[in-house]
Amino acid sequence: MAKQSIYHRESDFLEKSKEFLKKKSYSREELQLEYKQLLENYEELIDQVKIITKISDRLQNKLNKTNDKLELTNDQLNDTNIKLNETIDALTEAKIGRRAGTIVMFVVITLFIVSEVWIEPIIDANIDNTWVGLGLKLVVAILIKPGEDLTNKYMLKQARKKQLKEAKQKE
Amino acid sequence: MDNLFIEGTKQTPEVKFEANTGILEIKGRSIPENTFEFFNPVLLWLEEYSKAPVEKTIVKVNLEYFNTSSSKYILEIFKRVKTVFTDGHNVLVEWYYEEDDEEMMETGEDYEDVSGLPFELISVEED
Repeated sequence: MAKQSIYHRESDFLEKSKEFLKKKSYSREELQLEYKQLLENYEELIDQVKIITKISDRLQNKLNKTNDKLELTNDQLNDTNIKLNETIDALTEAKIGRRAGTIVMFVVITLFIVSEVWIEPIIDANIDNTWVGLGLKLVVAILIKPGEDLTNKYMLKQARKKQLKEAKQKE
Repeated sequence: MDNLFIEGTKQTPEVKFEANTGILEIKGRSIPENTFEFFNPVLLWLEEYSKAPVEKTIVKVNLEYFNTSSSKYILEIFKRVKTVFTDGHNVLVEWYYEEDDEEMMETGEDYEDVSGLPFELISVEED
């Protein structure tokens, strides 16, 4: 396993030194040489640890900076998304408002025609009071605005339901 | 001897070592799952190359990011290249970094200090 490790060379040196320790007797020269090698390897290892730690910390810092940039970009994207949704909502409301106005106007014109062609002659023939016909027209006129609001609300509700359904399907 | 080419991925750098021109190029991002598996062939190739290098060896390093274990292997690469240098051949390490990437520039300076190889730190414009 040590052979496949990133520190296999250093592990090999350590094993060699351990093996040396198992010897029953050593000459002074052998001891000196082994100690010298051990020191050299130790020194090299310390140098490596120093440089790798330094580089690793620095690159961690780079990673942190990149994360901060990403978070900022993400926040900006979220803000833009919110604004975009608000604009889409406003556009949808305006579009629906226009459509609701058209529908209500169509209904009012229809009611006016119905009242002029069918209801007015019946009223004129049966009730001897001009205020009844006028009152009827006044009621229709008063109902225009609430009628438009109700239609608008209903259509907006339907449009939002449709948007939600589409969003769920996309997920 | 054969050239060494390893295609780059999202996690591993592209390696293009040409024995006949002496241009050894490594670029991209180095965060392999198994660094030993990735870098061992590179080190073995360098060991072979150092036995019969061309007159001038240029090591081009253009890394965007690398993890801790890769930093150890990069050090090992420089050690192998150092043997070519100490044998009396010309060696130059071209260390590329993006112009606002202070960290990568300083990392190049650290490798220059520790490896004892001639370095040229080259700033490049961001993509």
